[in-house]
Amino acid sequence: MKRFALLVVACVGLAFAQTGTLELAVDSSPAGLDPHKVTAFSSFAVISQVYDGLLEINADLQLEGALAESYTISDDGLVYTFTLRDDVVFHNGRAFGAEDVVYSLERILDPETGSPQASRFNQVANAEAVDARTVVFTLTEPFAPFLSNMPNLYVVPREVVEEHGDLQQVAVGTGPFALAEVVPDTFLRLEANADYYRPGEPGVATLRYNVVPEASTRAAGLRTGTYHLIPDVDPTTALTLGSAPNVTLLEVPGLAYTLVGMNVTREPFDDPRVRRAINLALDREELVDGVFLGNAVPAGPLSEALTDWAVPTETFPCYAHDPAAARELLAEAGYPDGFEFTILTFGTRRDVADTAQVVQAQLERAGLNVTVNVAEFGTFVQDWSNSNFDAFVSLNGGNIDPDGYMHRTFITGGSTNVFQYSDPTVDALLERGRTTADVAERQSIYTELQSALACEGPIAHLNYGTLFSAHRAEVQGFEQIATGNLRYLRSVTLR
Amino acid sequence: MASMARRLFHNRIGFAGFVLCVVVLVAALFAPLLATHGPREQSIRDRFQGPSAQHVLGTDNFGRDVYSRILYGFRTSIAVAFGAVGIAALLGSAAGLAAAYFGGWTDRLLMRSMDVLLAFPIILLAIAVLAVLGPGSVNTALAIGIVYLPIFARLARGPALTVLSWDYVAAARALGAGGLRVVMRHVLPNVMAPLLVQLTLSLSTAILVEASLSFLGLGTQPPTPSLGLMLSESRDYMLISGWTSFFSGFAILIASLGFNLFGDGLRDIVDPALRGVDG
Amino acid sequence: MTTYVIRRLLDLAFVLFGVSVLIFMMLRLIPGDAVAIMLGANIDITPERIEALRRQLGLHLPLHQQYAQWLGGVLQGDFGRSVWTGRPVADEIVGRLPVTLQLSFMALAFAIVVSFPLGMLAAGARGGRADAVVRLASIVGLTLPSFWVGVLLLYVTSMYLPAWPTIGYVPFVEDPVGNLARMALPTFAVALPMIAALTRILRSSLLDVLSLDYIRTGKAKGLATRTLFYKHALRNAMIPVITVIGVQVGYLLSGVVVIEQVFAIPGLGRLVIGAINERNYPLAQGVILVATVVFVFVNLVVDLAYAWIDPRVEYT
Repeated sequence: MKRFALLVVACVGLAFAQTGTLELAVDSSPAGLDPHKVTAFSSFAVISQVYDGLLEINADLQLEGALAESYTISDDGLVYTFTLRDDVVFHNGRAFGAEDVVYSLERILDPETGSPQASRFNQVANAEAVDARTVVFTLTEPFAPFLSNMPNLYVVPREVVEEHGDLQQVAVGTGPFALAEVVPDTFLRLEANADYYRPGEPGVATLRYNVVPEASTRAAGLRTGTYHLIPDVDPTTALTLGSAPNVTLLEVPGLAYTLVGMNVTREPFDDPRVRRAINLALDREELVDGVFLGNAVPAGPLSEALTDWAVPTETFPCYAHDPAAARELLAEAGYPDGFEFTILTFGTRRDVADTAQVVQAQLERAGLNVTVNVAEFGTFVQDWSNSNFDAFVSLNGGNIDPDGYMHRTFITGGSTNVFQYSDPTVDALLERGRTTADVAERQSIYTELQSALACEGPIAHLNYGTLFSAHRAEVQGFEQIATGNLRYLRSVTLR
Repeated sequence: MASMARRLFHNRIGFAGFVLCVVVLVAALFAPLLATHGPREQSIRDRFQGPSAQHVLGTDNFGRDVYSRILYGFRTSIAVAFGAVGIAALLGSAAGLAAAYFGGWTDRLLMRSMDVLLAFPIILLAIAVLAVLGPGSVNTALAIGIVYLPIFARLARGPALTVLSWDYVAAARALGAGGLRVVMRHVLPNVMAPLLVQLTLSLSTAILVEASLSFLGLGTQPPTPSLGLMLSESRDYMLISGWTSFFSGFAILIASLGFNLFGDGLRDIVDPALRGVDG
Repeated sequence: MTTYVIRRLLDLAFVLFGVSVLIFMMLRLIPGDAVAIMLGANIDITPERIEALRRQLGLHLPLHQQYAQWLGGVLQGDFGRSVWTGRPVADEIVGRLPVTLQLSFMALAFAIVVSFPLGMLAAGARGGRADAVVRLASIVGLTLPSFWVGVLLLYVTSMYLPAWPTIGYVPFVEDPVGNLARMALPTFAVALPMIAALTRILRSSLLDVLSLDYIRTGKAKGLATRTLFYKHALRNAMIPVITVIGVQVGYLLSGVVVIEQVFAIPGLGRLVIGAINERNYPLAQGVILVATVVFVFVNLVVDLAYAWIDPRVEYT
């Protein structure tokens, strides 16, 4: 049996007074706050302050204790035992315990909840609260990425769910801040949780998420000091904010990547040669320049930030930009004069819309006739989930474990396999990847998968953009995480 | 018509507008000949440049030639404006004339429907129509056309009613002249003047509405250049390179100014009494 | 006059009925409904669950029943509940309406205050340099898109006057100075095209009136030019100006919708754009209906004012 002790924060009984209001500028208003139901980034920006998972991801992309203090994994990889902290209370004053963990897991798995997190926990055969501080999960089969899903197991109090039906409009968690006020499309106000279990945190009394749709307005607000922090700054704005007085620009390689997705049930994308030709025709370096003003890296199937897993993109033969080879391959596949197709995309994100334009120009240079269809976002999502596209350009969030992203995306019938991709070799590798416990063996499996998918998979991975944040000089203690998670807001203090 | 042209020539403002309109139309029509680069041709290494011999008006964020894009932008913007106003003027004045000619229930039904459209604040109606049709320049033309329908319907109906009450027109009708004939021969020529003025002025506002819709992400979609879209996209890098913003703003000014002045001039000529009906 | 008002009100009832049908039908024609948008990229969900969600929102009913339900509610003052926040639509609107109204009225007032002296100046100096400047400036003002003017103002003030709070909104009752400081730039950006339009129209109608016989007679009789100008000419020149104000209110709202987006002002414009994007039918319907009703009533008031000022208008 392996035992892991997690970093336990020493409890120094220092009296600590939080002061000040941290003003954030965000681009959209969260449409709902139920941690088990929502998918939008704007929602999780708030949820991650209000709720805790059993573990959390730190700035080095490693797992760290949150509600759990330590855990053990049985030798067969089937039984996970978590020891929980005993000093945690919900915002409504009730003490947190193992029953809450079991309840939250059951709620995620309940089809009635319709949780997008459900597939992360399908392997759990049984969850049991042994005592108030111990919870035991028994799996049906070894599942290597299980721990990496623990940050998504946000613990919610049963009584609040039962009182309100769901948690879209109310939020009662154990996190550093408690929800105080929501004015849709205007602002959300969070107040410091005086009983938070990490001493000295949070560092500010109030957190205000101001909803400001225009990038230039957010930037102007930061310059004038109306806002203290912009968590997500686009590359163009970053360039202008870099030289602004009293403004600090932070950057970290992101886990989110831009991509061209191809529908492999439609001609000619059913032909692997065509998919390889598309990869050859794309110039990822130029995309880095044109879309991200140089602040991005060419993307393989996994981000370079995942240093344990990612294969360097230079090793993929199709990543050497070569339009002539692309034309040859197309001719070989029976399209000597290229072909016509439509790229579906949406306009609400500048990086996505810009990527679509540059991709179009690049593919046209290789002799293809490309139309870009910029759909309204709701329509895009519908067509995307119904596989109603030739190809699309979009942006995907990343995951710290390769299985978290690859399994659902590439396995036959996977929940985000909208490309309808199906390859028995890939399927077998994906299944082995998640049931193998040995890290070295897992690494070789994912290396093989990355090589198999990079050139002839249904996705041409384009770029991992740099994630920028900007804050005023008076903000101290903020750190960025490649996932875009804002957990370090709790350590921010205002000078 | 000939005397109108002569009077226009002597109306300084109207003539200036006319010249600007011609410039804009020529630019739009002959864009492929006048452009030095393809409107979608990217050269990312050369982005954010100021005016130079190679790029007369500089380059945008993808290194595209702003001068060439503005020429093609005139094309899109003018096409949207003409499309929108064309739809509105044709269908609107047809509805107005029909309402005036048939009277009674037809009149009431048509004009009340127009009132329903007129009741919406224009931007909300345009947003709703575009939400239904989906974004894009053709749909933008349709949306603006629908928004402008009632203006033309009302404008045609009023004078048409007056004309129809004139003795000789009533006599023609009594003598069995067909409806279409009466309308085409007697009514239309008499309502033409205010319609023409409104048409020109509407072209100028349509260009601006297209710009606003593009700003909201509903109008013309990239990479097609329209003046509104170029102006709207360039706002994000105004501080890095203000050239694109300046020149596309200036292009909108020229187009809009041209139609506006031309319309003003026309109004002075065809009917001084009309002065005062704006928008 | 009374019968005229009654007739106008009856017409209004019909128009508003048409408006309600049109809003309702248009929103349903937008591809995708609230449930689809709410689920977003979540495709782990079962079809049964989706059906249940639709049922919860009443989206499974035939359209005419949905419409009847909605209209029935509206007539009793119940606009339904916002799909996302679960709060009554009426509350959401009441929270936003004052913001949009304040911006609109300030812009309107500002436009009137500025354009009158400008218009009179231009008319008084007809053909002169001041006239030319005012005319040219007013045309330029008409042709600059307000979003661009807004962004430009924002950049310039953030660079050179960083202490000026220009973004967002605070209610007037909480902080009058902060409220006005934040409203100043948006007011200017929204008012600009209206100033231009009103100046132009005031100038030309003043010129028309000044050329009329009785003014000339007055002049011949030795009345002071100033008295003539203010007492007689201006009053008569008001009539077309009022009509134009009515027309301009529609354009004003367009500016407000766009400017709310630029300055992050939580008004009806942003509410309705958000509601349409989320397919939040009850909210979108409610906001558009209320905005339309306000707009229609403003126009009615303008028409009545027009009829009242100009006795030549027949009330039939």
